[in-house]
Amino acid sequence: MNMIQVNGDPLAWSAGMTVRDVLTLRRFTFPMLVITVDGDLVDRKDYDTAPVPDGADVQVLHLMSGG
Amino acid sequence: MRQLRIDMGKCNAGRDCRHECEEACAVKVFKLDGPEHAALHIRELPDGTGQAILCDQCGDCVVVCPADALKRNKMGTVVLDKNLCVGCYTCIGFCEKHAFERNPEWVVPFKCIACGICVKACPHAALEIVDVPTPDYRII
Amino acid sequence: MSSNTIQADYPQFHRCEVDFTTRTEYVEGMEALKAAHQVLKEWTFTPSLPERGYTNRTLYLNVGTLEIRERPVTQQMKDVFTGGRGFGLWHLWNAVTPKTRWNDPENEIIIMPGPVSGITQYPGSGKSLVVSLSPQTEIPIDSNVGGYFGPLLKFSGYDGLEIQGKSDQELIVFIDGQKGLLRVETAPAEPVDSHVLAEILTHMYAEDEKDRVNISVVSAGSAAEHSLIGMLNFSWYDKRRGCIRLKQAGRGGIGTVFRDKKIKALVIRGPEVKGDLNHPKDFETIARTGIKLHKELRSNDPVQCLMRRNGTAHIVEIMDAYDLLPVHNYQYGSHPETHKIASYIWDQRCTQRTADGCWYGCSMACAKGADGVELRTGPYKGHRVTVDGPEYENAAGLGSNCGVFDAEYLLELNFYCDTYGICTITYATICAFVMECYQRGILDKERTGGLDLTWGNAVDDLEMMHQMARGEGFGKIAGLGVKRMKELFIRNGWGDPDLINDIGMENKGLEYSQYMSKESLAQQGGYALTNKGPQHDEAWLIFMDMVNKQLPTFEDKAEALYYFPLFRTWFGLYGWCKLPWNDVAPSDNAKTSEPAKIPEHVQNYLDIAGAMRGVKLTSEDMLNESARVYNFQRIFNIRMGKGLRVHDHAPYRSIGPVTREEYESRIERYEKELREQAGIDPAGLTLEEKMAATRKYRTDRYEKLVNTVYARRGWTLDGVPTQARVKELGLDVFPELVEIVKAYGG
Repeated sequence: MNMIQVNGDPLAWSAGMTVRDVLTLRRFTFPMLVITVDGDLVDRKDYDTAPVPDGADVQVLHLMSGG
Repeated sequence: MRQLRIDMGKCNAGRDCRHECEEACAVKVFKLDGPEHAALHIRELPDGTGQAILCDQCGDCVVVCPADALKRNKMGTVVLDKNLCVGCYTCIGFCEKHAFERNPEWVVPFKCIACGICVKACPHAALEIVDVPTPDYRII
Repeated sequence: MSSNTIQADYPQFHRCEVDFTTRTEYVEGMEALKAAHQVLKEWTFTPSLPERGYTNRTLYLNVGTLEIRERPVTQQMKDVFTGGRGFGLWHLWNAVTPKTRWNDPENEIIIMPGPVSGITQYPGSGKSLVVSLSPQTEIPIDSNVGGYFGPLLKFSGYDGLEIQGKSDQELIVFIDGQKGLLRVETAPAEPVDSHVLAEILTHMYAEDEKDRVNISVVSAGSAAEHSLIGMLNFSWYDKRRGCIRLKQAGRGGIGTVFRDKKIKALVIRGPEVKGDLNHPKDFETIARTGIKLHKELRSNDPVQCLMRRNGTAHIVEIMDAYDLLPVHNYQYGSHPETHKIASYIWDQRCTQRTADGCWYGCSMACAKGADGVELRTGPYKGHRVTVDGPEYENAAGLGSNCGVFDAEYLLELNFYCDTYGICTITYATICAFVMECYQRGILDKERTGGLDLTWGNAVDDLEMMHQMARGEGFGKIAGLGVKRMKELFIRNGWGDPDLINDIGMENKGLEYSQYMSKESLAQQGGYALTNKGPQHDEAWLIFMDMVNKQLPTFEDKAEALYYFPLFRTWFGLYGWCKLPWNDVAPSDNAKTSEPAKIPEHVQNYLDIAGAMRGVKLTSEDMLNESARVYNFQRIFNIRMGKGLRVHDHAPYRSIGPVTREEYESRIERYEKELREQAGIDPAGLTLEEKMAATRKYRTDRYEKLVNTVYARRGWTLDGVPTQARVKELGLDVFPELVEIVKAYGG
């Protein structure tokens, strides 16, 4: 497949992909995020290491701030 | 600066400690009726060892106080000016050592002023007042 | 971004040792200014403190007739309007008629803190709402402001202040809450610019140096006198710096009303602030909840939004990364030079070693200041000043939206807006508009009187502002605002009327604030379907919509546009700043059922409001309290001749790409939308045909959103609250409200 979904949009997958890779590829630099991979919550401290499998459904919820 | 220091090797915490230091502090210094309201705390941890919660006069609270009510006196000790205090408890919230105390009947919080009364009260000579270099203020 | 880049671009910005205790002083000659005052009226009152958050009286002053009187806060007012913005709208309703213009004596400036304003334990608890008929929109404006005036007014004995009438000579109104004295004095000689005036008056009315923290000054500035975009500065005295700081009631032109009434300043002298002056029913709950939030900010702010270091400017580079930073009058969403005005710049430049809350106990402390700024232009050239900010709006508006990517000039633009008494958001969108007009030949040097309004020309941008302050030249025209300039340029035949209307970012007469709604249908509604005009304090939905994809259907968007304006209105009823609600979050927030609402914080607010007033409040109560005020304001708009669907129209730049370059900059997105959403194959279409197809699709989609939102809010298709909705809210206790909606088909 080599494809994952991020907030419903497709993103090319590569072996060894981590949550941090997803954030970098999508330029998701917002500081307050709630991230699930296939429904499982990923703790902030694990972003660098948590694996994202092929075909995964990744939700990156941005908690709006500002204004 | 004047600082209260404890030697946990001499402290009786976790054994049959009678909390004499806390009693002396609460009753004699702050005129409160129970050792739970002291400006220092000696606790027993679940594994049976002792823990002391003391103010080390680091000065973090001086930076965060919006009323500029916390300052070092001539001896370098951080003291709270009750007249300037606005009772916001930012000091309580930002103190990493949990050294601030609050008595629900007072709006103004209180803290250790390194007066040494607890030193005299401890039967194991575990407490002492020392003079150490004053640290720089941190941005927190 | 490495510190090397910062050093290369700004060698003078180093963390640092700017001496934040020194600046140019203005108090010499103060005695002569004071000697020129003549007391027109003195009035005594008995100071009091609130009980459960209310003093139960407000103060009324007419600066024309000098009538002064107290008004009771009735139980009905509390039941229907709760406080803050609600009380302000209620008083304004009673003060004006449908025929009242903003500069008639009947128009009022009403300053209303709320029942929690003045508590010191919970961050963000010092806010007031200021209400008036706006010179820009000609309907009520409500504007949220920090600083010390509101709480000190409350602790002097008043839940709010109403000012009506017009004076024929310059006045200072001094309220001494320690002595129980109100004095109206002439003030012929004081300068009007706030950084000078507030400094002088703080020294003048304080009994000694220690008393300065008990003084707060409300003032505007010289540009507020010559434009429709004036704002009010509310001061607080910064002990560590030894100077006044300014917070703003920015939007809507209330500073213009203030100067039109010939009020130079309001000065309050309150009692010494302590932690329990609001006399809540349950102090312990408030204390515990406040301590909890202080601890949360201590551990989480450094890894979340860094508000304590950068204020709201932390999102500048984030918006750029998401292609949402307004660039060149909202044409584009990012720019290669954004790093020059991003948050790490301000982290270095703003002074960090102090406590920057705009009311006591706000440990979010986002009112950052840049000290030791030496001004390069204008009447204060060469002066060394402290600049309040910049906030996100200033960096994005005065900065990227106008193509200005120079941090030093940004600070100067920010500073002069503040001291001249004009809203930075409004000025920024005005400047962006005229710069685009200049780009497209709608304006040229002849029409601007010699100003070169090329993108990024901060020098001429500042000169335009100085002209506005002097009341001359093109600066004076710019001070009319985008709406009136559009009409003027079209009347003069200076350009294509459709283009001018498309790119002028205003709705109801008020300029848009600094977020890109172009690709977010939800935010298009969030801006245009507001009561006061396109200010983002009602709904900020861009991320929920575009990034999280949480609002896929019209119904989802309508639900958000129903809920969030009500939720956010609530803060303004009580006197809370909304930033501590969601610019910091508890560590376990991600595990809650609705993390975007920060449920633990919502409960904090309900707990504190309830502990203050001695009631138990639920989320449903919160929405009902707001819905009453929100719908009352809608009906008030209708009463004043707006408030209908036609007034919720949005300029096309806020909905879609106006120009070829805009379309081409996001061509894949627009073609994909045509293909997948509009069912139109873009292959074979010319660029003009594609632009027209996108425009039709988006405009129809916006209208469909409006229908869905109105229905969800209980309004007719013309935007009028139905009688059923009015009754459901209990607003039929005022029969005139029912009459108005009935007359408009509600």
